[in-house]
Amino acid sequence: MKPFSVCLAALALSASAIAADDAVLLRNADVYPVTAAEMKNASILIRDGKIAEIGEKIVVSKGMKTVDLKGVRVYPGMIDSGTNLGLTEIGSERVTNDTGEIGEFMPQLKALIAVNPDSATFGVTRVNGITSAMTYPGGGRGGGGGGRGGAAPQFIAGQAAMIHLSGWTWEEMEMVRGAAMQLSFPAIAGRGGRGGGGEEPEGGRGPAPFTEAKRNYDQQIQKINDFFDAARQYQKERTSNAPGFTKDLKMEAMIPVLEQKEPVAIFASQERSIRDAISFVDRQHVKAVIIEPRDLSKVAAELKAHNIPVILGRTEALSQDEDDPYDKEMTLPAEAYKAGVKFAFGTFSNEWSRNLPFNAARAVTFGLPYEEALKAVTINAAEIWGAASMTGSIEKGKWADLIVTDGDPLEVTTQIKAVYIKGKEVPLTNHQIDLYRRYMTRP
Amino acid sequence: MKKILLLAFVALAVRAEVTVIRNATIMTEGAKGTVKGSILVRDGKIAEVGENVLVPEGATVIDANGQWVIPGIIDCHTHIAVDGNVNEGSVSVSSMVNIKDVINPEDIAIYRALAGGVTVGNVLHGSANAIGGQTIVIKMRWGKDADGLIFEGAKPGLKFALGENPKRSGSPQPGSNAPLRYPATRMGVEDTIREAFNEAVAYKAEWDKYAAAVSAGQHPVPPRKDLKLEALKEVLEGKRYVHAHCYRADEILMLIRIADDYGFKIRTFQHVMEGYKVAKEIAAHGAGASTFSDWFGFKMEVFDATAYNAAIMASKGVLVSVNSDSENGELMGRLNTEAAKAIKYGGMSRENALALVTLNPAKQLGVDDRVGSIEVGKDADLVIYDKDPLSEYAKAQKVLIDGHKYFDRDEDISGRAGREAEKQKLLEMEKQDQAQRRRGPQ
Amino acid sequence: MKQRRLLVLIACCVLCAVAVAQPEPTAIAIRNARIVTVSGAAIAKGTVVLREGLIESVGENVAPPADAMVIDGEGLTVYPGLIDALSAWGIPSPAPAGRGGAAPAEPRAWGPEDRPQTTSWIKAGDLIQSNDRRFEAARDAGFTSAAVFPNRGIFCGQGSLINLAGQKPADMVLVPTLGQLIALHTSPFGAGFPSALMGVISYIRQIYLDADHYVAVKAAYQQDPRGMKRPDYDRALEGVLESKRILLPANRWVEIERMVRFAEELKQPTILYGMREGFDARSVDHLKGKNMPVLVSLKWPEAPRDRNPDEVDSLRVLEDRAKAPSSPAVLNRAGIPFAFYSDGIDQTRDLERAVKKAIDNGLSRDAAVRALTLSPAEIYGVADRLGSIEKGKIANLVVTRGEIFDDRTKVEMVIIDGKKYTPAPPPPGRGGAATENRP
Repeated sequence: MKPFSVCLAALALSASAIAADDAVLLRNADVYPVTAAEMKNASILIRDGKIAEIGEKIVVSKGMKTVDLKGVRVYPGMIDSGTNLGLTEIGSERVTNDTGEIGEFMPQLKALIAVNPDSATFGVTRVNGITSAMTYPGGGRGGGGGGRGGAAPQFIAGQAAMIHLSGWTWEEMEMVRGAAMQLSFPAIAGRGGRGGGGEEPEGGRGPAPFTEAKRNYDQQIQKINDFFDAARQYQKERTSNAPGFTKDLKMEAMIPVLEQKEPVAIFASQERSIRDAISFVDRQHVKAVIIEPRDLSKVAAELKAHNIPVILGRTEALSQDEDDPYDKEMTLPAEAYKAGVKFAFGTFSNEWSRNLPFNAARAVTFGLPYEEALKAVTINAAEIWGAASMTGSIEKGKWADLIVTDGDPLEVTTQIKAVYIKGKEVPLTNHQIDLYRRYMTRP
Repeated sequence: MKKILLLAFVALAVRAEVTVIRNATIMTEGAKGTVKGSILVRDGKIAEVGENVLVPEGATVIDANGQWVIPGIIDCHTHIAVDGNVNEGSVSVSSMVNIKDVINPEDIAIYRALAGGVTVGNVLHGSANAIGGQTIVIKMRWGKDADGLIFEGAKPGLKFALGENPKRSGSPQPGSNAPLRYPATRMGVEDTIREAFNEAVAYKAEWDKYAAAVSAGQHPVPPRKDLKLEALKEVLEGKRYVHAHCYRADEILMLIRIADDYGFKIRTFQHVMEGYKVAKEIAAHGAGASTFSDWFGFKMEVFDATAYNAAIMASKGVLVSVNSDSENGELMGRLNTEAAKAIKYGGMSRENALALVTLNPAKQLGVDDRVGSIEVGKDADLVIYDKDPLSEYAKAQKVLIDGHKYFDRDEDISGRAGREAEKQKLLEMEKQDQAQRRRGPQ
Repeated sequence: MKQRRLLVLIACCVLCAVAVAQPEPTAIAIRNARIVTVSGAAIAKGTVVLREGLIESVGENVAPPADAMVIDGEGLTVYPGLIDALSAWGIPSPAPAGRGGAAPAEPRAWGPEDRPQTTSWIKAGDLIQSNDRRFEAARDAGFTSAAVFPNRGIFCGQGSLINLAGQKPADMVLVPTLGQLIALHTSPFGAGFPSALMGVISYIRQIYLDADHYVAVKAAYQQDPRGMKRPDYDRALEGVLESKRILLPANRWVEIERMVRFAEELKQPTILYGMREGFDARSVDHLKGKNMPVLVSLKWPEAPRDRNPDEVDSLRVLEDRAKAPSSPAVLNRAGIPFAFYSDGIDQTRDLERAVKKAIDNGLSRDAAVRALTLSPAEIYGVADRLGSIEKGKIANLVVTRGEIFDDRTKVEMVIIDGKKYTPAPPPPGRGGAATENRP
């Protein structure tokens, strides 16, 4: 057995050396590159996992594997900009969750190294045409914490990674190791429920709720600034190799952030938090992406002025405020677009990651131009997370992250016919499909 | 005489309430299939469906050119419009409580569900107990009072729950020293239900004996009326449906066997994510299955959930619906595309897919003589979409219940500014009032 | 003549005195006063004579009896003493009526049979403490009586009608049992049944079914106990049966609909309390023709203090706050019998301001006075002894300089059971003073 596999490896090596053998040609498809106009009857040559060529006339060399895609479409694989894929298996079972480490500032933590490549969710998500995702170290969504319930608030959860949704190991899945530093921006606790029956909160004569909450909020922001200031001081000492300088893993992890190589993914939902987050970004001179800005419409102009992109959550959502229009969350992407704010979509839930395209479609239903919705799940995400040279469109030199469909990839009834990740066709199966096949045969 | 004439005139005016929806693509979900044409609505009922429907004089005409009409969407499992907790979770058998007592017609979720084309909902008690509370079917008649929401004539139900939820209170919770509630295992859940029915059978016998004595002319003291057992007695007598929350195949089978032993029927299995594993047994029992389109992964007992569940069960002869389990109406507002997922996952036909949220839940709730399809004689519960309702790009434009328009997207949009102005006015008034109080009494 | 001079002297002493305890005259006559009888037309200038705690006579041409202590009522107005229709005054608990307060320490209830949060047998009259400081504050605002209720749990207990002054509690009780105060109070997590609103409603329903059954079983046993199992003694049901009238909470119109239906189902004489959305036409629709009087809380909803300025309340909440004080006017116009209750307000000025607010929102002063006098008396079936200035009724009066509930009006005195109480002077720095001190 052993000599055989060695032999195979040797063969593969020599094959790639003389080109050709691992190359695949997808022929006669309608190609939607996203960054360029649609091409009818075009072919895509995949070599070494990358898009080697796109065109109507690509010469088929001898022995080259070809796939005829007449009558179907090829799109770039989609990107979910908000998940905990690989880190969380079953939401309610703590032992299967690796998000939300203990500690207020934990920039040294890396989501990537905890990604379980065999998580059942990868297969479920892939077959719907999602080929990459941002996976975050924290499960939190804003609110001065994001740590586990009852634990002390967490501000920096660690580094989110951009990954491919297929690979034998997390190293193979890695696209951008430190794609963003996850920061939960403080918030003043919002009202719960839907406006209720007008009940007054009990204990109206008690301690001042807002004054207290505001003080706490300001202190938390100060704490974050202090941490960034300390990191900058560390950076200075490190550069000048100051006497007595010792390496600090937390601070080391902050260097790419301070050098604007790694954006801060700031979870800020409410208007006040978003505004203060923008001030924070200004003050700290960092690159930032605002995550799930539910109050976006009130601060869109400022976001645009500061050139801060945002990740919008699911449009399959409702406002908590009973007075808001029923379609408020669904029109948010259209508003971001009109204001000129750059955005991508995140589902912020592993289970709903597979519904990413439907959330994008829903934005179109409520006013977003279709092309913008498609960009928001492909090229925009790649650009925001520093992966535009790798994925997000069908362009020469990028990874061949492709999906083959029988129609509009955002539409619920469209079938995904094939999925390519890094040029490899991913089998269209998963735990759910296995069960389907098995139980259809139960007598 | 004058008065009588006037009355007659009023009656005529009421009777003349006629609406015609024209030029639409109509997915009737009835024998006619999908047709292009018109629907005539008279007195809240569907009077005619077809290509050539004459428009009576004085009829309100809705021109639905290029638009689609489907029957009002029916959600077989929702928790909207409930005041207070949806769970009486303190006891393992809470059949004494009734959702009907706490219907909240002001819940904005009603309107938001309506905006997504939902016209009927099965409002269920939560799943904290092996036997939960009594349930009620409502129509989304936004603006009516609680009584006006009740779907008159629809048989009430009783919620059951199996698996993780009802046994949760049997396990110590971190940070709580509350006494543990039996049961803590699936075995205990089975026993809890059996014990309850054992008691209910004895209770029923007591009342039957009393009734016999009364009809024999005696005057015995009546037995104590026990609201908990009364609901179970109604289940035994077939006067109340059982809607059972469940996930795993073992517990589904377990409940079927209890029902067999005590001689009652499970009307629907709810969620029923492993229903596909015991589809044969569910079909044989005659129960319906009301499932999620594509939920998975949120708890251990859904580990074997599959988006193909609806398709598998349907192919094995189970009457299947797709529900929302919604508390705020979010998922309710897009049940049309939840149904469309059965096309994607399992290749169901368009009509069968739409039936998952229209005719099938109507049958499961025993109201298919009234709603669920666009057929002559049924309630005019209709949804008009701008595009194919099985597409993500479709929006409900108008929703009619009993022939009355309860939602209109254009009116919704044009009314927004006015509502906002009203709110600003009240806020301003309050601000002035507070400023005045700060200045002190004049 | 000598005697007369002495009387005048005493009268002067009493008028000047701030302290309450004085040798009591057997008769008091207030003359030359404007008298608002409530039951009849107001008397522009007349005399009311009180003797031994009762109203002896009232009228334009009534002469003060020779033995009476005469009070010159020139410039004064006499009203019947005000009645708080649902009160916690005198009940030793800081919790306001109907709110339940801290969870009573009782064992976890596993169902209605455990009678959770039920003290239906308790009578408020047995709980009151005559030295409760709230009595004085209430008297200073013109209140002379209150329907006080125990205020914990679901079946809180039975209310008693009391006077707001007396040497010992027993002297204060006018009617020992007025009805059952019911609150829709859920048990906190882990404390057992009922933990949901629908559980509370089901529990109340079961209690009344059980009460019917209890009566039937007891009657059968009474008739022939031989060979029959002795009925269990159930103090919860005993209490429920002892005082049939029930008070159910209803603030939103939705709750008014719900509780009207529930009361009809329970077939108990019912009073609804709360009425924040009494202004809503739907509330009125559900109350009309139901013969179900209502009690309107004087605690008008207010915006929470020191709230997050980023948060805006819903339109419904804002509307409630803006319109709740117009509920009394709306109910009055619709002919629905209503009375006011303090709902935890226990400061003199707060009580006065709260009533004034209803007047500012469209309620006539006469109607406001009635809602605090004759209406509550009628609602509780004691209009034959209280609530108006009529011969033979209990001598509970409030005497003001200026029209009652006006900002500048001063309560000169209240008379309870024929005894006079004069308000303490307002402490310095209150009312208008605060304005003047403002920079």
